[in-house]
Amino acid sequence: MADKEPVVERPEAGEEEEDASAAAAAGEEEDTGAQVAPIVRLEEVAVTTGEEDEDVLLDMKAKLYRFDKDGNQWKERGTGAVKLLKHKQTGKVRLVMRQAKTLKICANHLVASTTKMQEHAGSDKSCVWHAADFADGELKEEMFAIRFGSVENCKKFKELVEEIAESLTKNEGKEGEDGGSTAGLLAKLTVSEGKSEGSGKSESTDSGKVTETKADTAPAE
Amino acid sequence: MALPNQQVVDYPSFKLVIVGDGGTGKTTFVKRHLTGEFEKKYEPTIGVEVHPLDFSTNCGKIRFYCWDTAGQEKFGGLRDGYYIHGQCAIIMFDVTSRLTYKNVPTWHRDLCRVCENIPIVLCGNKVDVKNRQVKAKQVTFHRKKNLQYYEISAKSNYNFEKPFLYLARKLAGDQNLHFVEAVALKPPEVQIDMAMQQQHEAELAAAAAQPLPDDDDDLIE
Repeated sequence: MADKEPVVERPEAGEEEEDASAAAAAGEEEDTGAQVAPIVRLEEVAVTTGEEDEDVLLDMKAKLYRFDKDGNQWKERGTGAVKLLKHKQTGKVRLVMRQAKTLKICANHLVASTTKMQEHAGSDKSCVWHAADFADGELKEEMFAIRFGSVENCKKFKELVEEIAESLTKNEGKEGEDGGSTAGLLAKLTVSEGKSEGSGKSESTDSGKVTETKADTAPAE
Repeated sequence: MALPNQQVVDYPSFKLVIVGDGGTGKTTFVKRHLTGEFEKKYEPTIGVEVHPLDFSTNCGKIRFYCWDTAGQEKFGGLRDGYYIHGQCAIIMFDVTSRLTYKNVPTWHRDLCRVCENIPIVLCGNKVDVKNRQVKAKQVTFHRKKNLQYYEISAKSNYNFEKPFLYLARKLAGDQNLHFVEAVALKPPEVQIDMAMQQQHEAELAAAAAQPLPDDDDDLIE
């Protein structure tokens, strides 16, 4: 029944082109709806994403699933941008993923020393892990699977998460916190950051999108 | 609008009525927004199911109480009694079924008897399917009755945010209203003991063997 061949996409693209040209002429999407009186008055507010104090280590498009224990099956959670974010002061790293278009949170959890990435049996573009997720504002034990557009991107994500978890393990293993070694570990993460930024065209594209997102945010402030 | 057991929120909320023939994808569409999952199995809705859907906008948070109504007459319950005090609406039809489009005028008539002068979006669902029966050019009812029309796919997420964005703009009287990133709250630290971690890893290994649904890489650019 469901067949998403490009054939379907082309007519839609054509229609979108028509819409686009109409939009170009009118300056916006055609509104065939009735004139209705607004029922609320909303004022523009400053937008906060919750990421203001964090550096982006990774930003990629992916598709996220959560494991439904009752049904013993994976279910889709969202499709959009997955980010690894490092707090500028604490150095803690978390994973945040948002659904495209609606920009709702579909995953939000710290990368812990116990975070282990496993390969998914059916796909080398996917990996799975366990997390205490805070996406809905309350902690929930979840098993996640994530699928990327390429093997390369999956590997990049998996290796970075494992590297972060490993650095946390080393840090915890030391007696008391040693400022020097902590600084060293943070420097290591910075190097990772450089690696992420330096590698891959798709990454540059994603970075561009981040810029676009921020550009969207700026006028609101 | 006060309902028994309905949580009161301190941001604007609206009653959104969703109508249309059975099997057109009303419940699947709502679920897609609620949990991210795509529900393949068809289970007729009995009476009505009300789900709150929150969105973050540049004008703050808003909520739609989605009244997902029965499309099949035999499960209609109070039928148009569910429309009372509806502030906006979606009429859903299935582009792979001519009959569901043919019945749109009836749904519109019944809806307008109860809800006067509310913004209404007509949605042609399942545009991901190759063999569609109702072509975009054949859809003309919206122009006659001043509805907005969107071709959508609850499966591919094509245009899936558009109905809500359109309605939000109409209700607020603000054409520039747009969705912004939901705030990613800081996740709390979690301590996991060794036994729990081992259990998680065992569960994860079992889950990793389960296939991911709809393995279609086309969905990720």
